[in-house]
Amino acid sequence: MFVKFRTEGYNGYDLQWSPFFESKLAVATSANFGLVGNGRLFILNAGGPAGIDVERVYDTQDGLFDITWSEVNENQLVTANGDGSIKLWDATLADFPIQNWHEHTREVFSVHWNLVNKDTFVSGSWDHSIKLWNPQHPRSIQTYKEHGHCVYSTQWSPHTGTIFASASGDHLVKIWDTKAPRSVQTLRAHANEILSLDWNKYADNTIVTGSVDHTIKVWDLRRPDREVICLRGHEYAVRKVKCSPHQGNIVASAGYDMSVRVWDVAAPGEMKMVELHDLHTEFVFGVDFNLYVEGQLATCAWDEMVHVFVPPALMPGRR
Amino acid sequence: MASQRLELISSHLTAQPTASSNVTRIGAKSPDDIVIVSALRTPIIRARKGPFKDTLPEELLAAVLKATIEKTGIKPELVQDIAVGNVLPPGGGASAARMAALYAGFPESTAINTVNRQCSSGLQATVQIVTAIQTGLIDIGIGAGVESMTTNYGAAALGNTSEKIASANQAAADCLLPMGITSENVAADFGITRDKQDTFSARSHHLASAAQKAGLFNAEIIPVTTTVLDKDGKEVTVTVDKDDGIREGVTSQSLSKLKPAFSATGTTTAGNASQVSDGAAAVLLMKRATAERLGLPIQGKYITSAVVGVPPKIMGVGPAYAIPIALAKANIKVSDVDIFEINEAFASQAVYCVEKLGIDINKVNPKGGAIALGHPLGATGARQIATLLTELKRQNKRVGVTSMCIGSGMGMAAVFERE
Repeated sequence: MFVKFRTEGYNGYDLQWSPFFESKLAVATSANFGLVGNGRLFILNAGGPAGIDVERVYDTQDGLFDITWSEVNENQLVTANGDGSIKLWDATLADFPIQNWHEHTREVFSVHWNLVNKDTFVSGSWDHSIKLWNPQHPRSIQTYKEHGHCVYSTQWSPHTGTIFASASGDHLVKIWDTKAPRSVQTLRAHANEILSLDWNKYADNTIVTGSVDHTIKVWDLRRPDREVICLRGHEYAVRKVKCSPHQGNIVASAGYDMSVRVWDVAAPGEMKMVELHDLHTEFVFGVDFNLYVEGQLATCAWDEMVHVFVPPALMPGRR
Repeated sequence: MASQRLELISSHLTAQPTASSNVTRIGAKSPDDIVIVSALRTPIIRARKGPFKDTLPEELLAAVLKATIEKTGIKPELVQDIAVGNVLPPGGGASAARMAALYAGFPESTAINTVNRQCSSGLQATVQIVTAIQTGLIDIGIGAGVESMTTNYGAAALGNTSEKIASANQAAADCLLPMGITSENVAADFGITRDKQDTFSARSHHLASAAQKAGLFNAEIIPVTTTVLDKDGKEVTVTVDKDDGIREGVTSQSLSKLKPAFSATGTTTAGNASQVSDGAAAVLLMKRATAERLGLPIQGKYITSAVVGVPPKIMGVGPAYAIPIALAKANIKVSDVDIFEINEAFASQAVYCVEKLGIDINKVNPKGGAIALGHPLGATGARQIATLLTELKRQNKRVGVTSMCIGSGMGMAAVFERE
């Protein structure tokens, strides 16, 4: 089934499936391609008979660039805002965020809830810093300043509750352990800006990165001098990479070439790409795997469209 | 704010893929960069007259290979392949090079080959090793070059060629022209006057002499201990650590008194052409990730290179054609380059190339070139890399180019970035 939803007047920046509800989806969007103007948070239900229904809509003063659901409270989620703020929303309440933190001095471009120690989340900003937060605290718990350029992605390890990774415009990936004040590992992962990363859910030393250099690389952190695999195919910068929660060898990516691609990193030979979804008509910024429906992807793009579909290559039993 | 956001997003779109091409980017470090861990050379010594007159080419090569191991501390068994540029030796110098590597301390497992692209052989050897590392055939290698013009320079090195071909094809016949005549052709075709050639040559000696006095060659030269037969035929051990072709106090006036060497009406003389010399050089190469893993120093990185054919009868114009191609591959302009090492095979062709490309003369061969130092044919391409990187470091500059013309009509150029 392929269903679509139009985020009219708002360009998609990121989306995430709920970790608690099978068909609930949150989408972070911005007016005017995120360059100037308002933002809008959509909470959607993709399971209805008529396709996708809107459950909630929240408006913000500046664009929304990233989103993460709480791992503790099934109704709460956090957004990364263009004005440097981070907002905590409760989907049972209308209109306003229940918490607002404003410490970053430039656009916040990533937020991610800790998957193991579920009382913290992390944020990355164009002010080059990373901040660690506890939703119960009025201030950030820790600030990390090592990157020399915008931080585009911050992702907790799904295996160890104190470890997260960051990707930056300075061409570096850094691995952090909240028990230490400095990064514990640095990878010169690409020869250009790195816009996205994700952890493999099945191999605790494996991460995937996506870069402005058009490539996606798979890394084994125990052997950081060179990538395990380099996936070529995107014709412009890779904006987002996501590892499948169901299969350790499947990676989805979205990019400035308006495509969504699915890769099987274990496929023999050079041809690792197993699916090309080219129905978006503008930059694709968001892609996420549904945790409950194996193979189901949601994507959002600057064409104001959200797509929910199961790529043929990921139909159960196909791989 | 909107404009900053637009600028950032735009920068994501304009980036060229680095992964699908071998052009390493200037100013952006990558673990896949091919870096130069060391670039060393022997002194360059006048053939048949200097203290290398009784030293064979494989002994010079062994000296610079041994010094590469000693100076960097690299485990010799990690070096998987060595390419050696040489031009004149019979049999391509292949067995002699293998002997040199074994004698220098490399194990039997370290492979070696020789390569001959005439005067660019040392650079060609370096590019060969770079390419092998880039494609993953090897992890660590050495690009080297050697020539003992004492041992092998002469008509015998040329061998016999087909008269059938030469009589049927003028350009093919032009490949047999003596190099001096090609220099006369460049001077005549493009109006490079004797005075310009002599002025350029005096500059080369002047700069080399000043550089030598200031010790600017010390970082690139490794001393070579060898034996010389004195005039009584007695073997004397000497340690050579200085180039001996540089003549202090040479002026364009003194050079103007020399007779043309190739044509009675010509302008090319022994004083405005490169010297006939002996020497060797070696460049240790690997990926940045490998150097960092082994804790080895990084002198600079290879960016790209180009080689292109030109008319054989004016082979000296080669750099004027090769340099623009290499710069285009590196996506930079002539003015972006801080130092050019352009081989001074002849002042005629060097002056032509500098003028043709509009290069600021102050950026050209700042420590002198082959007119003062000498031109051991197979070694020069590797020697220039050593000379370039040390000078970029001294001047605290980044981008350098080496280039040379190639007998039988070609030019080659390479771009490097010091780190």
